[in-house]
Amino acid sequence: MAFAPMGPEASFFEVLDRHRESLLAALRRGGGEPPSGGSHLASSSEVLASIENVIQDIITSLARNEAPAFMIENRSSWENIKFEDSVGLQMVSHCTTRKIKSDSPKSVQKFALILKILSMIYKLVQSNTYATKRDIYYTDSQLFGNQTVVDNIINDISCMLKVSRRSLHILSTSKGLIAGNLRYIEEDGTKVNCTCGATAVAVPSNIQGIWNLVTDAKFVLIVEKDATFQRLLDDNFCNKMSPCIMITGKGVPDLNTRLLVKKLWDTFHIPVFTLVDADPHGIEIMCIYKYGSMSMSFEAHHLTVPAIRWLGLLPSDLKRLNVPKDSLIPLTKRDQMKLDSILRRPYVTCQPFWRKEMEIMADSKMKAEIQALTFLSSDYLSRVYLPNKLKFGGWI
Amino acid sequence: MKGTAVTVFEILRFLIIHWKCDIEVSKGVLLEGQLVISIEGLNSKHQANALHCVTTIASAGSLFGGTVLKKFLKEIQSILPGISAKLTWTSEESSYSQDMTGVTPFQMIFEVDEKPRTLMTDCLVIKHVLRKIIMVHPKIRFNFTVKVNGILSTEFFGVENEPTLNLWNGIALVVDSQHYASRPKFDTIESYCSRIHPVLGHPVMLFIPDDVAGMDLLGELILTPAVALCPSPKVFSNQLNSISSVSIFLYGPLGLPLILSTWEQPMTTFFKDTSSLIDWKKYHLCMVPNLDLNLDRDLLLPDVSYQVESREGDQSQNMDLQGQTLLLFLFVDFHSAFPVQQMEIWGVYALLTTHLNAILVESHSVVQDSIQFIVDQVLEQHHQAAKAQQKLQASLSVAVNSIMSILTGSTRSSFRKMCLQTLQAGDTQEFGTKLHKLFCEITQHQFLHHCSCEVKQLILEKKDSAQSTEDTPDNSSLELLTDTSGQAENKRLKRGSPSVEDMRTLYSARAPSLSEAALGGRAPTAAPLTPSGREACETHSRALTPGRASLGNHLEDALWLQEVSNLSEWLSPSPGP
Repeated sequence: MAFAPMGPEASFFEVLDRHRESLLAALRRGGGEPPSGGSHLASSSEVLASIENVIQDIITSLARNEAPAFMIENRSSWENIKFEDSVGLQMVSHCTTRKIKSDSPKSVQKFALILKILSMIYKLVQSNTYATKRDIYYTDSQLFGNQTVVDNIINDISCMLKVSRRSLHILSTSKGLIAGNLRYIEEDGTKVNCTCGATAVAVPSNIQGIWNLVTDAKFVLIVEKDATFQRLLDDNFCNKMSPCIMITGKGVPDLNTRLLVKKLWDTFHIPVFTLVDADPHGIEIMCIYKYGSMSMSFEAHHLTVPAIRWLGLLPSDLKRLNVPKDSLIPLTKRDQMKLDSILRRPYVTCQPFWRKEMEIMADSKMKAEIQALTFLSSDYLSRVYLPNKLKFGGWI
Repeated sequence: MKGTAVTVFEILRFLIIHWKCDIEVSKGVLLEGQLVISIEGLNSKHQANALHCVTTIASAGSLFGGTVLKKFLKEIQSILPGISAKLTWTSEESSYSQDMTGVTPFQMIFEVDEKPRTLMTDCLVIKHVLRKIIMVHPKIRFNFTVKVNGILSTEFFGVENEPTLNLWNGIALVVDSQHYASRPKFDTIESYCSRIHPVLGHPVMLFIPDDVAGMDLLGELILTPAVALCPSPKVFSNQLNSISSVSIFLYGPLGLPLILSTWEQPMTTFFKDTSSLIDWKKYHLCMVPNLDLNLDRDLLLPDVSYQVESREGDQSQNMDLQGQTLLLFLFVDFHSAFPVQQMEIWGVYALLTTHLNAILVESHSVVQDSIQFIVDQVLEQHHQAAKAQQKLQASLSVAVNSIMSILTGSTRSSFRKMCLQTLQAGDTQEFGTKLHKLFCEITQHQFLHHCSCEVKQLILEKKDSAQSTEDTPDNSSLELLTDTSGQAENKRLKRGSPSVEDMRTLYSARAPSLSEAALGGRAPTAAPLTPSGREACETHSRALTPGRASLGNHLEDALWLQEVSNLSEWLSPSPGP
């Protein structure tokens, strides 16, 4: 199906098209998509069998008069994480683990909660129903204590059983939005058309279930903040730059937003760009989309898009565009610590241009939000900045 | 006319005082020896319905030499003029009684005419006194024989080889719990500690009211409390008992049982008010005096007893079988900068028996502070242990229910079969029971492994193979204790459970110079001490510092309390992943 040609001329996208060609060539050189390691989409019977195996191990330990224990990989330990350019951050094959013992005062409660959630997952899978992490928490909030406990245990189970959270029939709540040249059908048959209007479409909660994705988009633009996303919607950016797709995770992205970005890349291999504030927080969010997070490194293969490019707002743009100093904000101590932390991360070493931009920021000790561009004009972002960047390849 | 019981006790009292003061027994050494007390009653020829009782007190073995014996005999004669009964004694030149094999020259005999019922009561009182003596003088043994009109009964009182806690000044407290409370009944797998674990309090100086005339003491009266729960808080139990009663034991100088002049009516003004020593409201307990103290029982009879009043206001029945008893030992000692003469001790004892009520009323504030502090500690430990136990039980319940949910919901028969076979269960119900039992045993085993006390595990279905856990703590446990004493100190400061250092501090009865912060900032207000009183407290404190002889006992108790403090970890949030 052809979309109404409201966007610029075809020549506008020449650089983009060449960029896409280079990405495809790199993919071919790399042998296609990297094999999916870590967790995978397991069938229901596989999940049930995995859980039953865990129970069998526990009962066998008890029969031998040994205290049963869970061996949990240390997901949030840098020593268990490696960086691969093609994948991003992922867990090493032989991770350090910690033991959750049933006969230790410190861990018996967690041992019990892991079993509790395993039994809940077992029932969900058996009955082919789904629940969010929040639902799980509210089944017995007093027992669990707080949501973070539930979240961590679910991630631990996913990592322990080597199955994706989706396979455990536990959904994460989506908060992202999507707009642009995209349509798909959800698992329940609902047809969704994200064509720009005044409103965007919520990222679906069942990314693995959507199918029949169709798009003509030349690029995907990931926008850090909802405010910027709404501004672009108001400026009719999707139609002006049609065909394109815009997506926002409203800050740190949830799992479903990341899964959708990954799915769009895997399905269409169209260039993906990020539009983030020129501050350490924005850079970190961009790194999550591109390389993944430490806590979810065990699912990196399903979540990361190493082909993502940084479109803006670049620290070098601030000088180039003569953004006035009163539109800039001094870096706080926390900003500086975060910036230092990012600069030390393994993936920055293979991104010299990103490093250079971060060094500019560190040297100037200043940051800026995308909204700083409004000093030039209220629609400078959608009318001038982004189109120029896209037309002339202003990404790194 | 003084009865048999009173006379026996006065003689014993004098004997012990003389033994300690004049025989130059080292202050730290326990008195050791055996005494034989025999009462022979025959129908009196002078009084109707009365028995002529001849009481003999003799030593089975030499207590002291000949020259000292003469001095002793002279002094006791002057001390006990009140005994109107015929009091005779024999020296080493006299003949022996043929009924007493092995009796040495030391022997005292007195005769009294008593009603049979009075004699019966006196015998019970004597047994009570003997029990009280051996509880703090564990190396003294008594043979008590009563022969009435030819009918003989003999009873032996001794606690040798029983665990003790060395206190000070040559006395030690027997810590075997069987002396203090009946063993509670079990109907499930449980473990208990056979010892009590006393916590010593801060020694405080007692004030003597001005109107208590006749005593010019060249020293200070120092009260040191000790508190313990009996039976000890169960490390792992399905039934954590609450406090159901309080037993108060009074001891005077040199560990002599304080038999008050109002002993037949022990509830003096001071003790009648159950909150005079301890504020029970903070533990949601309502205590009432227990006046039903049955002399005729094998347990150590308290001098004062309280009961927890039930919610309905009815006094609980069969309290020995329910709940725990809070044991409170009040040791009143006399300290002086000068060498203490035995007459001084005798006078102090007389002062205490007559005026203890007034003295305690005068010293109420400092006494209550000192006792409250250690009661708070002991009950807080109990409370922490109870909470930890609840948390453990809750966790195990969740684990078992979760496994059962998966097992019963599984459609894979091979899985279900395998689970049942592994635990040798016939059906899922039996499986659940065995599962819970195994989890309990494994957790219990973890605690038992570290328990420093002798722990017996009563397993109804495994009586023949009940494990004896008399294993002494291995070096690794001790080393762990040593290494983690600092950590334990921090834990105690955070959670109120004692560390090893605090154990030593507690056992050494914290001197006024120690930091208040070390004891959680709840130090009792010490009485303003005179120089001699301050020195007395400090001397008292130094004397309580465990010496080598008592180190084993102290370390065992320290290890036990360390494990109880570890239980407080149940209450802390688990660290996140």
